[in-house]
Amino acid sequence: MRALRASSWAVVCFSVMLLCGVGAFAQDKPKPAKIKASAMQVDMIHSDEIKLPAEFQVSMYEDLIRQLQNKGGIAHVYREGDRNAASAADLVILRSNVTGFKEGSQRKREVTTVAGATSIKIHCVFSDKDGKTLLEADVTGKVRFFGGNLRATYDFAKATTKIVRENFSATT
Amino acid sequence: MLPCTPSCVVDRSAKIHEFHGKTISAKMRAAQLSEGKVRETALRNRSLFRLGCLAAVGLMAASSNFAQQPVTDAAVKVVVVKGLAGVKDNTKGTLMIGEGSMHFAHEALMSDLGTHSIEDVVTGDDSQRVIRGTVGTLSWFAPYGAGRFLSLFRSKLDTVTIKYRDADGGLHGAIFTMPVGQAEVVKKDLLAQGAKTTVTAEDLAKTPAAATPDAKEKQ
Repeated sequence: MRALRASSWAVVCFSVMLLCGVGAFAQDKPKPAKIKASAMQVDMIHSDEIKLPAEFQVSMYEDLIRQLQNKGGIAHVYREGDRNAASAADLVILRSNVTGFKEGSQRKREVTTVAGATSIKIHCVFSDKDGKTLLEADVTGKVRFFGGNLRATYDFAKATTKIVRENFSATT
Repeated sequence: MLPCTPSCVVDRSAKIHEFHGKTISAKMRAAQLSEGKVRETALRNRSLFRLGCLAAVGLMAASSNFAQQPVTDAAVKVVVVKGLAGVKDNTKGTLMIGEGSMHFAHEALMSDLGTHSIEDVVTGDDSQRVIRGTVGTLSWFAPYGAGRFLSLFRSKLDTVTIKYRDADGGLHGAIFTMPVGQAEVVKKDLLAQGAKTTVTAEDLAKTPAAATPDAKEKQ
């Protein structure tokens, strides 16, 4: 009985030490320096290979701009073709290309809960004015349980905004 | 037999009735009553038939007038799903196209967009739950999966997606939903007023999926 108690204490202590070690390791890991971007131009979503309905394309574009304006931490967000973007300093251009699209069904989702998911896969490329690539990322937007199919575009916009917030800064 | 009038009080076996001071036989009284009823029923049927005919003619006239009426004269009830400048998402209102612009009105809110700034107009289809709003939300808590069952009942919608440029040249996109059959009319009117499109009627005819949009279900 005493041996069992001692061994359980040992397991607990080992777990605590392991957790502390992991935490310390995580703290020690240096975060990559954020790229300076005081302005961002968002280009219209392209789908060269995948046939994407127009409402999805427009919805993704509009959601992305709105999310970046509200939560992206970028001072100015310009739309494609905006003449004011040309004079902006530290301009980053975001180009997105759809690489995968599966249109689900809201009816199936609401009736079965598990079937009818909608998902969109997008390859995002962040580049500077000269066309030099600064960052590339694959983002997925999904709607699994509740909401219309266009909610997947909101999910994509949120995920992309998170990437922007983590990698770009207006000050540094 | 029931008493003919409150004053006519006789027992069931009586064969003579006192009717408004006159004495008539029970058989005559019954014959008069049945004849009157038949005449009344015939008159009622005839008037109902006439009313039905009038209603049918009125409905036919109204529907033919509605079909011939151009959209530029009549406002189309639409919902702005997203993207129209100065208008909140999912705002209901009316859309009018004419004089080189597209007007969207919701109560005091007005939004004008020059049709020449519209670079692309694409139509589509969609569906929505018949029971929606607060009642629709509450239906999800109904027992025995009634909420799920109600989701099977959906109404079809048309969608119109446009891309347009603002004064600075910035590209915008807007999505509208409207009753079935209105999208093509709105698109035609927008094109007539100077808007452009990348999807023509020939393109739609070529793609079988687009030709039968009801086959798929979106949103």
